[in-house]
Amino acid sequence: MLTRIGKAVDMQGAAVKIKEAVYPNPFESGLEYTPPARGTWNIVHTNMLVPESHQVYICAAGCLRGVVLTAAEMGAMDRFSSILVEEHNLMDGSMENLIIDGVGDILDRLPRRPKVMFIYPACIHRFMGCDMSAVYVQLQRRYPDIGFGECYMDPIMRKSGLTAEARTRWQLYHFLTPQEHDWKSVNIIGNNLPTSEDSELVRLIKDNGFILRDLTLCRTYEEYLEMGKSAVNISYNPQMIYGGQQMEKSLGQKNIYIPLSFDCLEIRNELYQLADFLGVQHLDYSPNMLQCERSLAKAKDVIGDTAIALDYAVTFRPFSLARLLLDHGFNVTRMYVDTIPSEDKADFEYLQQCYPNLMLYATVHAKMRVMDRHTTEPLLAIGQKAAYFTGTRHFVDIAECGGFYGFTGISHMAARMVEAFLEEKDARDYIQIKGWRCRTCR
Amino acid sequence: MIKIAVYGKGGIGKSTTVSNIAAALADRGLRVMQIGCDPKADSTNSLHGQAAIPTILDLIRQKGDAFSLKDMTVKGYKGVVCVEAGGPAPGMGCAGRGIIAALEKLKEKGAYDIYKPDIVMYDVLGDVVCGGFSMPMRKGYADAVFIITSGENMAIHAAANIAMALENFKDRGYARLAGIILNSRNVKHEEEKVLELASDIHSAVIGSLSRSTVVQEAEELHKTVIEAYPASSMAEEYRILAAAIYKEAQKRR
Repeated sequence: MLTRIGKAVDMQGAAVKIKEAVYPNPFESGLEYTPPARGTWNIVHTNMLVPESHQVYICAAGCLRGVVLTAAEMGAMDRFSSILVEEHNLMDGSMENLIIDGVGDILDRLPRRPKVMFIYPACIHRFMGCDMSAVYVQLQRRYPDIGFGECYMDPIMRKSGLTAEARTRWQLYHFLTPQEHDWKSVNIIGNNLPTSEDSELVRLIKDNGFILRDLTLCRTYEEYLEMGKSAVNISYNPQMIYGGQQMEKSLGQKNIYIPLSFDCLEIRNELYQLADFLGVQHLDYSPNMLQCERSLAKAKDVIGDTAIALDYAVTFRPFSLARLLLDHGFNVTRMYVDTIPSEDKADFEYLQQCYPNLMLYATVHAKMRVMDRHTTEPLLAIGQKAAYFTGTRHFVDIAECGGFYGFTGISHMAARMVEAFLEEKDARDYIQIKGWRCRTCR
Repeated sequence: MIKIAVYGKGGIGKSTTVSNIAAALADRGLRVMQIGCDPKADSTNSLHGQAAIPTILDLIRQKGDAFSLKDMTVKGYKGVVCVEAGGPAPGMGCAGRGIIAALEKLKEKGAYDIYKPDIVMYDVLGDVVCGGFSMPMRKGYADAVFIITSGENMAIHAAANIAMALENFKDRGYARLAGIILNSRNVKHEEEKVLELASDIHSAVIGSLSRSTVVQEAEELHKTVIEAYPASSMAEEYRILAAAIYKEAQKRR
């Protein structure tokens, strides 16, 4: 067992008061730590959403441990293969052929031919300038009945340019073909989890007679392909903005991005924008807004002034959520966020002005591994990372937005906070399980 | 837009030839971009007349991504857009990786869309020593490759290697070999040797350049022959070669 030697580590660089935080990167980038809160989905989970797809990872043997373990935990090893890169592949210029021939070997051994293969080259391919375009052309030529998706297991694409995640989200829908559009059907795209049935978003779609399609609900490849029929794509995951634009170009599907929010007026405006887009009537959302206020007031009555910590993996808009809670009297003291999303900029600036002492903590800063981070005061955590870092036994077990959207999303969150406040649970039992609510491979 | 890559053994006169072709084509009113893919970063010197210009790799090293397309380019003779990929510190780093990074950055910053050149010329070092040096051959970069050689054995050996690389890539939709340029060194049986090479690699000699002191004299002035001695017979040879290259490249567009 490792024993720490030397003095206690201070918080400098890993924590900052919001009033002193710099948008959009409040912390220096450097050596990183990954907390063992595994609920956020990874590249294996997300792409398994495409039915009858198969994933192929290409890298040196040791590098593949994480994705292999994920596939094994999901019980999806029959949809997972790897091609091992060896030193001679770099020297003899055979990297492209290694991939092409390797895919052939995999196909020969699979009991059933997949409809789609997601190919994941790694950073070595980027460093050596492997011509992946030529690889995909060759694969498509050899196996015209299979769709090949360009994916990435490439940490150097994580923070610059168009991120690997944004590219991959788009690739999930890459196999849809242009079809005659059904103007009474729409897609929600870009999420790992389905949007809750009682959300105003889903109700607006279904109650107006539209068919809703969502990759997270597709159980067969045929169902997936039917998403090409929908006339409109709706997204609220910022990582899907690029993909939505590309789908509009390639499939002619109208694209609308309605950012997730925890501000009632903003939610109403987004829903009205969507209603106009779909050509349906505006609803009176006053009762829904009132219900939100009631839910929050009820939660406040129970939780009182107990300190609250929340993390970025809970929602795409952590600062919007913090603002909602603080403005309703909750005692949010800590946020675990590594960057400030552009959608959250106004909320971040508002919090800087109105709640300047709110603490921001990095989750990946190396000091977070060794810093004295647990709190002795009673604390309610929202999110797995917040639970891990604070050491509390009262936490809302949620990641990937939980499928929450709109006014009902706020009410659900308030109810979960009450539940978590009243019931203790051991964080370790929950947060070590990868891919929160991932049902894809059942 | 026509895109060509010129390969050949180090020291064979690629940069001098490419710069003179660039100048000759610019004289004809074409918008020309010349991209030096050599760690020495001196491909375009005789076009812009400066000792050195900022290289893309220097910019990446110094500024990360915080620089613009303008920072990467210098306008030379008659508006020729001059770019130098640059290279790693001598004895360290990877020159091939440098070319990959530089060409990707050029594309990312929209060089081809913004300058809208009629012709782009990649001046590439050596004999395809690694994957990075084959980058300009790839789909999306050059459509046609020209190899410069003399009758010297090492130059012919390098030319054969380059042709072999192109043959290896024929299934990938890469640039195709469009011709051999003989840059004469007045060695014995020079023309026969180069013709034999052309035959062996199923290509043709599309132009030849005489050995002339005018070339060195122009270089001492930091100019191309086209600019410094436009009335010379050497300038005329470059003009004829430029026309031949342009014609061959147009066929393969």
